[in-house]
Amino acid sequence: MSAPIRLALLVVVATLASCGAPQPETGAAAKPRGAGERGFAGVFVPTGSFEDPAGPPPFQNTRWPATPPFTAWGAEESRRLADPASLKTCSPNGPVFFMSEVGIFPLEFLEAPDQIVILREASGMPRRIYMDGRAHPEDLEPSWMGHSIGRWEGDTLVVDTVGLNGKARAMNGVGSNARVSEDDAKPRMPSSDKLHLVERMKLVANGELLEDELTIVDPKTYTEPVILKHYFQRRPDIDMLEYYCNDNPREDTVVSGPGK
Amino acid sequence: MKTWASIVIATVVAGAPSLALAHHSFAAFDRSKKVVLVGVVKDFQWTNPHAWIQLVVQDTQGHQTEWGVECGSPNMMARTGWKKGLLAPGDQVVVTVNPLLDGRPNGSLVSITLNDGTVLGPGDAPAPRPLGSSATR
Repeated sequence: MSAPIRLALLVVVATLASCGAPQPETGAAAKPRGAGERGFAGVFVPTGSFEDPAGPPPFQNTRWPATPPFTAWGAEESRRLADPASLKTCSPNGPVFFMSEVGIFPLEFLEAPDQIVILREASGMPRRIYMDGRAHPEDLEPSWMGHSIGRWEGDTLVVDTVGLNGKARAMNGVGSNARVSEDDAKPRMPSSDKLHLVERMKLVANGELLEDELTIVDPKTYTEPVILKHYFQRRPDIDMLEYYCNDNPREDTVVSGPGK
Repeated sequence: MKTWASIVIATVVAGAPSLALAHHSFAAFDRSKKVVLVGVVKDFQWTNPHAWIQLVVQDTQGHQTEWGVECGSPNMMARTGWKKGLLAPGDQVVVTVNPLLDGRPNGSLVSITLNDGTVLGPGDAPAPRPLGSSATR
């Protein structure tokens, strides 16, 4: 078939298809109701830096509390994690770490009809948020990232996460005692297998920022919920890169001298 | 302290310098001190979670010491101009580090000057953009 004929056929088919297609609606009612096409898809860089974890106003990240409402177990676990000897630096990050870090490693949101997947450049494991209306399984096995289900409340994505194994890095656990920022000098903020995380995510600043309000309910670790807001800037100019943490685990050399 | 012909203990700077290394604690390093090393690259490990430069530094008596110099992650380094091929064994470079507190020859990279004069840091987060500039590629 010659190219002009193929083109003519395509035009005819496209014309026929458009005749039967419903006319686009206007206003909010026209928005698709699935997980996709809500504008969350794309690469986002966490706002804030080690020097300025809150980031620039007016959309500022909530700082971790200086005096966390620890239970006795939480306080002890925080002390344990503050010891560099206990820090497993290549451990998976966990969902709170994913969503409350400052701007070193980008996140990528992927939207499918029945799932939203969040990738973090520094973490091999994704956050998988089921959008198909399922509930948390009753016989849920504990896992690093937990089990996440999501639903839309208007343009806000509400994500409910349970089923953690309690072994992820401290939620503010970049580098205990690093003295890089005020936040790093604060107590480690552990989470346990009792963590129940509720997040409300929405686009703000004309869609350029994604806001995530995290409500951290973990009665084993904290006597009351800890609520944080974090912001992520859309960065279509950035592509995600690889990060295989165990490629060259030379942490020992920091304390034992050079050598591979 | 030994006197290294090719090591300069730089001035003690006021306040901790900005450092975007995030993988682990940097409590082991003396972030108030900068040591300048002039040496020859033995090995460049372009690896996660951190890249490493193994640098051979020679003193006035001809005694050689191998320093381990910890950089950022290749992700953070690539976003500030680094490439794996920028360093090769045999290259003579000038490296500034925050040394280990305990005095062993190991440091956290502050900056490096390559053969061609290029100066690079340890890597960093993606350069921030002001709000209103990120809607398009």
